[in-house]
Amino acid sequence: MEFGLLFDIGISGLIMGGIYALIAIGLNLQYGLMRILNIAHGELVMLGAYITFSLYSGLGLNPLLSLIVSGPAIFLLGLLIHRLLFQHMLQTSHSLEALEGDSLLVSFGLMFIIQNLALMIWGADLRGYAYLNEPVAFLGAVFPANRFLAFSVAILLSVGFYLFLRFSLAGKVVRAVMQDKVGCQLIGVRIFKVHRICFGLGVAMAAMTGSLLSMVFDLSPSMGLPFTVTGLIVVVLGGLGSISGSLIGGLILGVVESLGAYFTSPDLKIVISYAVFIAILLIRPNGLLGVRGRGD
Amino acid sequence: MRPILIWIITIVALVIAPTMVSAYTTSLLMAILMYAALAQSWTIFSGSTGYISLATSAFFGLGAYVTALLDGRFPLPVAMVIAALINFVLVFAVASAVLRLKGPYFAILTFGLSELMAHSSLWLELKMFGTRGRMLKPVEPEVVYYSLLVIALVVFLTAYLVKRSNFGLALRSIGQDEERAETLGINTTLIKLIGFSLSAALMGAVGAAVTPRWTYLDPYIAFNALITFQTIIMSRVGGMGSLYGPLLGAAVLASLSELFLTRFPYHYMIMLGTVLIIIVLFLPDGLSGLIGRVFRKDNAGRGMQEAEHA
Amino acid sequence: MVNKFSGWNFLKMAAAALSTLFFLGSAASAEEPKEIKVGFTLSQSGPYSMGAQLQQMPNYVMWAEEVNARGGILIKKLGKRLPVRLVHYDDRSDIETAVRLYERLATKDKVDLMLPPWGTSMTFAVASIADRYGYPLIGVTVSSMRLKELGLKNFFSMMQAPDAVCGAIVDLLAAVREKANLKSLGMINVSDLWGVEVVKESVPLFRDKGFKIVMEKSYPLGSKDLTVVLKELKAKKIDTYIGYSYPGDTFLATAQSQGLGFNPKVFWAGIGAILPAYEAKFGAAVNGVMGPGTWNQKVPFKGSKEYYGRFVKRWKEKPDHWGGPCTWASLQCIEQAIAKVGDLDRKKLTQALHNDKFSTIIGPVKFTKGSNLATPGMVMQWQQGVYEIIWPKERATAEPIVPKPAWKTQ
Repeated sequence: MEFGLLFDIGISGLIMGGIYALIAIGLNLQYGLMRILNIAHGELVMLGAYITFSLYSGLGLNPLLSLIVSGPAIFLLGLLIHRLLFQHMLQTSHSLEALEGDSLLVSFGLMFIIQNLALMIWGADLRGYAYLNEPVAFLGAVFPANRFLAFSVAILLSVGFYLFLRFSLAGKVVRAVMQDKVGCQLIGVRIFKVHRICFGLGVAMAAMTGSLLSMVFDLSPSMGLPFTVTGLIVVVLGGLGSISGSLIGGLILGVVESLGAYFTSPDLKIVISYAVFIAILLIRPNGLLGVRGRGD
Repeated sequence: MRPILIWIITIVALVIAPTMVSAYTTSLLMAILMYAALAQSWTIFSGSTGYISLATSAFFGLGAYVTALLDGRFPLPVAMVIAALINFVLVFAVASAVLRLKGPYFAILTFGLSELMAHSSLWLELKMFGTRGRMLKPVEPEVVYYSLLVIALVVFLTAYLVKRSNFGLALRSIGQDEERAETLGINTTLIKLIGFSLSAALMGAVGAAVTPRWTYLDPYIAFNALITFQTIIMSRVGGMGSLYGPLLGAAVLASLSELFLTRFPYHYMIMLGTVLIIIVLFLPDGLSGLIGRVFRKDNAGRGMQEAEHA
Repeated sequence: MVNKFSGWNFLKMAAAALSTLFFLGSAASAEEPKEIKVGFTLSQSGPYSMGAQLQQMPNYVMWAEEVNARGGILIKKLGKRLPVRLVHYDDRSDIETAVRLYERLATKDKVDLMLPPWGTSMTFAVASIADRYGYPLIGVTVSSMRLKELGLKNFFSMMQAPDAVCGAIVDLLAAVREKANLKSLGMINVSDLWGVEVVKESVPLFRDKGFKIVMEKSYPLGSKDLTVVLKELKAKKIDTYIGYSYPGDTFLATAQSQGLGFNPKVFWAGIGAILPAYEAKFGAAVNGVMGPGTWNQKVPFKGSKEYYGRFVKRWKEKPDHWGGPCTWASLQCIEQAIAKVGDLDRKKLTQALHNDKFSTIIGPVKFTKGSNLATPGMVMQWQQGVYEIIWPKERATAEPIVPKPAWKTQ
């Protein structure tokens, strides 16, 4: 067993993990903050990917630049979705479980709708483009440049968001709402505005991840759900409401997947990931960094 | 009295249906029965305790594989019983750790368990049999239909009995306030365990019953996550407050799906998604809640629970 | 509200409901056939949709259009031509849905003929339904040894089975091994029925011919990332790569191999190589890539070059090289069987399909116990924008090129 190959594979896992982390952070902003189980999250990843694809193949726009388009566009869409679908639920659900269940169902319907629209607009064929698909070496390991780029930007966004939460006033407000909703209401914070903006931010992150992913993978209208699933796993693994948990959880999952695939076979990679996930949850029932009552 | 009559008529209609309607309608009824049974089994546990379980496809798939592995050596009803027993014992033995988790952690963990089952079965099958999937011995559609009808009846009867029993009361109290239930002396761990295992057993029987229709079974088919989601949807659309809710949900959604799928092949997903969203947003108690409200206008009834006990 | 009264009401309602069910159930059918209804499902969403929409749908649709432009299919028994009408649904890549819909096609829509859905699992599940109702069914995107297990009397399969596909690969590689100095072989396969079977078939064949299989790993269906295995293949200096993969995975493996600089001498990419979209996506880089297949625009069979021209004109896209031509060939067989039998009687058609020889764009077709053994397993290779047949020699349209030139990066 060569150390070089092992290291290589480990880094490869980290790279995928960075992508998972960004998706999970976006999902955490919905699930962790509002207990909204948005199973259509992956569809917004898909939309972001298609937007970038269309811009690249139609206008030749650099995928990185297209983030400027896909992010804000989907942010606005997120505001709309929240207002139309989730706001009423948030105000009237008689329990968190009911909210979770209802948001699951509503977002399921949303998933159908978005997938169908994508199918109608872009068709069922695999779409894709090649961008920076050359090998690049880093610390002795070799990767396609686009993957490395996607990872770097994803990590930048994740860490950036974490810092924003930690150090900016707006970030503090968000964290406060996560920790103590009622308290915030008492001091005059407009909870639903915060919720709505966070929802928008969450899906915007999904879309930007999609844009980054489009450089690396081929697209199809049904590509979303597996990303949602991974996102959910990472969110729960890291702990609901904990952004750093999602970041760490994502990286861990990526590395576990890669090493698991290498030591056994890719077939077992999923089995191993789930087994590790389940084991961690059973040991720490609130996730790695989750706290009863949430925090960051 | 009145509701009893509706039930009797429905059951009689379902019993004689295969002889009176086309094979196609019968197959649609089979899908409805399957989902009604699954939705009701799900509601028995998750509806009362509020522990949203996403493990439906795992239990269903296990049952499906029991039938597949038995390969026709025993008649279908026997396979169903075996599937139910295996599921019950397995879940009872293993689930106490899982049930310590709460809320979203529980939900996503059960989902993870389902996926784990699906993928490890895939790998196991490969290693043990050197192949993917297995062919199933064909079974007469009538046998499958009546097996499904029987298990559906069993499930609904169980739901009815549970609802009226102290066990059901305990489940509901856990749903309302688990800590308080504990302090009142209820052994919540045991109650949850029994409820979860019971639900799993019933789902396993359904899986065992419906499998022969597909001729070919592999882990992706047996442990298909869509089964989990559709079950929850039908339960919710029908309404979890009343006994006939899951049946109504299954019937309405299966028929609508079929209608949309066949009439609007390019847009049915949008239509289905929209219908779902509208129902969830505007009918918090599902269709049965709506019906209850419309028909109970003359009852001075206080809450749903009092007015409906059918 | 008196109980007796309301009970009565409900009985009446129930009677009404029952009779409605009765009406819905019994579908009256027209007496004199005015058209030929041809039924099928094809996935419009989900993992099977790509294959279904690229390989089968365009051929089904184009066939119906061309037949109807000629005035329909001649039914000698009725002395006239009947137009064809396609009755189809979306099975959502879901087996349960497909099974139910085929039952609907048989019992409610009462179609005259059935065509298969996409893919091995789905075709299997649906084949029993077709069989139960006596419809002959020619599977066109099925490649499996398990066909015989089914023991269905009305089921036929057009595509080469794994043993033929693998046999061709092994024979070709054995023929070029010395010249190209091939030393180490690595295989990956998708963990689906087809992937599992082709590995099972090829391993003993390779061993018999003295090949050294250095690595053999399987990966799950729908994988998004194959870098780990590809890195390992590269690290182990594999010079002969066999990737038993589905279209999506083939594209993925190819792209990631480029991105990692994995450049074996032989790159048998997988099913994806048969798609024009493969060449469209990777451009000149596909030169030298090998894959399965059964047809290209150069084969000498009657009607083949014209088919190519008409397909391109109709769809503004080129046809693929395996599932699509097999689909077209199956339609030709059906037409020829109807012409021979003179009517749409399903038993007679099934007989004809079992006994006769058919002439199609993929060459002569003859079903032996339901499998088309007249078409040998083939290896094809992209050379200067054409997917050439390089093995077996009798069918070859070009010589094999080994080693594959290194990936040209874009």
